[in-house]
Amino acid sequence: MSSVTPSIQVKVLFFGRLKEVAGGAEEFVELTPGSRIEELFASFVARRPELAPFRSSLVASRNQEFAAWSTPLQPGDEIAFLPPVSGG
Amino acid sequence: MSIPPSGDLILLVQNPIDAEALINHVRTGADGAIVTFDGCVRNQSHGRRTLYLDYEAYESMALAKMREIAAELHAKFRIDRAAIAHRLGRLEIGETSVFIAVSAPHRAAAFDACRFAIDTLKRSVPIWKKEYFEDGAVWADGELPPVPHDTQSRKRAS
Repeated sequence: MSSVTPSIQVKVLFFGRLKEVAGGAEEFVELTPGSRIEELFASFVARRPELAPFRSSLVASRNQEFAAWSTPLQPGDEIAFLPPVSGG
Repeated sequence: MSIPPSGDLILLVQNPIDAEALINHVRTGADGAIVTFDGCVRNQSHGRRTLYLDYEAYESMALAKMREIAAELHAKFRIDRAAIAHRLGRLEIGETSVFIAVSAPHRAAAFDACRFAIDTLKRSVPIWKKEYFEDGAVWADGELPPVPHDTQSRKRAS
């Protein structure tokens, strides 16, 4: 067998209104090593263009901490896309 | 609710919040004041009559962020104990969605810390509410939490 393209797997969570637009709350995604949160979100937008308008009004988290869009992904990361919060 | 004997108390609950248990949790002989905040479900939003609310959370992160708020209260104010509970699921008009109790030797710190706690919770804890009206339902407008700055994204070209 020739070499297989290496990949990393991350778990992705959607909440609130995003969960409805994304069509699910939780998904495992394979990405090329070195991918960033920005590219992960773009991969969802490629499949569901209706997610695109939410890019400017959501924040991402990596392993339960708010994270910048430029954050590189590591295998096993739990990434969540969070709409503006409205608890209280 | 099962409540540990000492320290701060951070809870996400599905059933009605036991406010008295939270108040008793923060009450010690060293305190001269307990300030509480009771956030409850209002019967209207922007003039539309609300039927009920449905709260959801990113539970593991919400608990972590609520613990961070409690730690920040101790760093910023001269308080004794804090209890912060948020309820999830369907809530009817008048029910308590969030309850905060803060004890301190003196009242000023308890007032300040309680206000800081609810303001910070509303800005930074990943919880969302959906408002149900007679003619439909909407996710409530919220606040975008502060996030670390993107430092590398601009420099990746060429």
